[in-house]
Amino acid sequence: MKQLKDYSEEIYKCTKCGFCQAVCPVYRETGLETTVSRGKFTLLHGILTGKVEFSSKIAKYLDMCLGCKACYDFCPSGISAEEIITAARAENNKLNGINLLKRFIIWCFKSNMRLRLLKFTLNIYKKTGLRHIAGKLADKLGKLGEPISIFNLQLKENIEYKKLGPAREKTGLKVVYFPGCIGNYVNSSAKNAVVMVLEKNGIEAQIPENLSCCGISSRSAGDMDTFKMLAEKNISLIPDDIDYLVTDCASCGSAWEFYPELFEGGLNQKAQKLYEKSININKFLDRIDLYIPENIALEKTVTYHDPCHLARFQYVTKEPRRLLQKIPGIDYREMQEADKCCGAAGTFCIVKPGISQAISKNKAQNILDSGADVVCTSCSACKIGISQGLVSLNTKKQVASPVELLARLYIQEENTS
Amino acid sequence: MNTQLTKLKNNVIEELKKIAGSANILTEYEDRYCYAYDATAIGEELYLPDVVILPENKYQISEILKIANENSIPIITRGAGTNLVGGCVPLKGGIILHTSKMNKIINIDKNNLQCTAEPGVIVEKLQQEAEKQGLFYPPDPASLKVSTVGGSIAQSSGGPRGFKYGTTKDYVLALEAVLADGTIIKTGGKTIKNVTGYNLNQLITGSEGTLAIITEATLRLIPDPEERQVLLACFDSIDQAVKAVTGIISAKITPSTLDIMDKNTMQTIEKFHKTGLPTDMDAVLVLEVDGFKESVGVQAEQVAGICREFGAENIRTSRNRQEADEIWFARRSAFGAVARLSPNVLTEDAVVPRNKIPDMVRNIRRIADKYNLTVCIMGHIGDGNIHPNFSLDLRNKDEAKRFEKAVEELFDAALSLGGTLSGEHGIGFSKSAFMHKALDKKNLELMKSIKNVFDPKGILNPDKVFERR
Repeated sequence: MKQLKDYSEEIYKCTKCGFCQAVCPVYRETGLETTVSRGKFTLLHGILTGKVEFSSKIAKYLDMCLGCKACYDFCPSGISAEEIITAARAENNKLNGINLLKRFIIWCFKSNMRLRLLKFTLNIYKKTGLRHIAGKLADKLGKLGEPISIFNLQLKENIEYKKLGPAREKTGLKVVYFPGCIGNYVNSSAKNAVVMVLEKNGIEAQIPENLSCCGISSRSAGDMDTFKMLAEKNISLIPDDIDYLVTDCASCGSAWEFYPELFEGGLNQKAQKLYEKSININKFLDRIDLYIPENIALEKTVTYHDPCHLARFQYVTKEPRRLLQKIPGIDYREMQEADKCCGAAGTFCIVKPGISQAISKNKAQNILDSGADVVCTSCSACKIGISQGLVSLNTKKQVASPVELLARLYIQEENTS
Repeated sequence: MNTQLTKLKNNVIEELKKIAGSANILTEYEDRYCYAYDATAIGEELYLPDVVILPENKYQISEILKIANENSIPIITRGAGTNLVGGCVPLKGGIILHTSKMNKIINIDKNNLQCTAEPGVIVEKLQQEAEKQGLFYPPDPASLKVSTVGGSIAQSSGGPRGFKYGTTKDYVLALEAVLADGTIIKTGGKTIKNVTGYNLNQLITGSEGTLAIITEATLRLIPDPEERQVLLACFDSIDQAVKAVTGIISAKITPSTLDIMDKNTMQTIEKFHKTGLPTDMDAVLVLEVDGFKESVGVQAEQVAGICREFGAENIRTSRNRQEADEIWFARRSAFGAVARLSPNVLTEDAVVPRNKIPDMVRNIRRIADKYNLTVCIMGHIGDGNIHPNFSLDLRNKDEAKRFEKAVEELFDAALSLGGTLSGEHGIGFSKSAFMHKALDKKNLELMKSIKNVFDPKGILNPDKVFERR
């Protein structure tokens, strides 16, 4: 693992041209030099050269980064702020400790037992009608009720699992599907859709028991010990003689990219092997002879939001759009700034709620302007960001992953035949 | 640790908070540390401001200036901090006025071909909004995606389109500005023609924040050209490229862009991006022609013909927007490529009469060789504005020293060829020591007395333009 000091040359390379201001969503909301990469590099350079003390005050500056990587593509010197700030946060945690709120969130997602407990509680909440009561209450509370509305939106399960008759012969491919903690414990809609779509296309994906959270939020909070612990658990549960390791959540997908650098020796080799096998579901479906039913259509106007972790970490942008456009009846509309961060960004939405909401609101406005009635994305965190924006604009729209729409098409076919 | 505390008295800070609101006042060391620089490589020198203020309107700026003037506190206005001559660096501490919150376009007046904007509006944003109305704001500094209207007026920024369309100064119709004592003034007017008295507009434009603080600008727009086409032509020698340019102009063609890059620049670009530039040729011209659809094709053909006549090879003409973007990508990645060679890049912008460009380029190469420095030469050949980009590491004291000497010789060369210190970046404090070489004594005296009339206490961006006292 690289430490902050290992980045000192990278940090010094910043020519201070300030071009990062053009693309930084946080800068757009705050107008503060300290929030843009140039400012943070200057501060970190100050720390590394002894001009600035690495006090507990530094954490608040390091918090002001979504890790969206938008500035990386735009940086003439090609410096990755996301990597450097992650390392700086880890250093800060060592020196000054982790913020309580972040520690609590990481703690929740760290253990599968707690996640199971969460699932159990959520099931009660969902099934006893408590959710509807809370929803009604939220409507009455106005602004104060927004978090409840956003929360409720995350629980709405669009797709229930149903065994569908396969449309393709069994491929014999060995595929493991990594659904991530949201898919496993909070909302199984996208997970059900992936399993159904794969089955329909002749692929029996394995989902190993006891998979943990991918750990991406602990990484972005700089809690590398937790990240490493979760990574190790996940790596050990997946055999390495597979053909593909499919993910649908963008964050989980990039977690697999980060795993190898955490380890040395055998574990590093296995992590590397699995990383090479990992593939986002949209990309996977783009490569196979995807089954598309005829004489049936999904009459919907759809737009797509690029998750940062899919567009700028895994370079998957065309495939989800192509998938959506393959679905008969879908009227696809591109929104403005589709690849701009949604504002959720792991723990950012909890640590900096005001700025996060403002960024989400911009995103929601672009969604409204596109004229779409369904907004698609392929990331559990983005779904939260988008819902947050839509709620703040007082609008409701269906938020789904492209695979969920495809699954819906399959279900519709099954129901009509 | 004393340096970490602001020098301003508590009651001054309290008053400033009352004016602009506590949320818009930054006094912590870490905050101020991030406002001690702009895009100029100044090494490890630290010039800390005492307070950073993000004003929301002209009235706040006026009140802030009254306090600053009363207490003789330096005040430095900052837009996007993309200045290349240290213009936003608070040499004497004081107040940094960051205009990022004054970022509204007030109106676009399509019938009168003009628009009014607050100083923090991004230049590219203004261009995009004008384009939506079929209008065009030509000034295009390389930093236009981030740089602001206020900053570009204060620096009178240029860009590749300078040859045909002029620079920022040619588009300023009216300004609203705050004087050192807090008085809000308006200069110029809404009319294209205006000879009512001295042209204070032009005095404030390019004054680098030393005379007044711009709070609103009315800018001239022109109809957006129907079509644009980009050409790329490679030459065996810079002399031939310059001859071709003269040939193009003699043929009564006025390209909207006449840019040049030298061999070193092309080789550096190709090292990082594969853009298809020939790395064995001495120079490449990037030309853009614009106008009515019918005329653009004719112009492009003639330009290509003339370039060929002067020995150009590998002439590429864009056939659509994508191909044009590809050529522009190559040109625009020049700075970034140089930035990847070494940690620091210093871009100079001496300007010479166009026919002296081959001499200037020879001089730059000779000086770079003499002081063993890496230089990539690019620039706007149409208006003689050449940008040698020096790539170096300022931590290397010896290299930094050699660079200092080289720059002085560079300025001497430009002046001896009938040119001057700066075409579009300004003087700031990087070039202030050479002002006496470029201007005669009386000229400088006049300028200093003007400064004194506007800002008797010397609080507005002190020690810029004129040499440090």
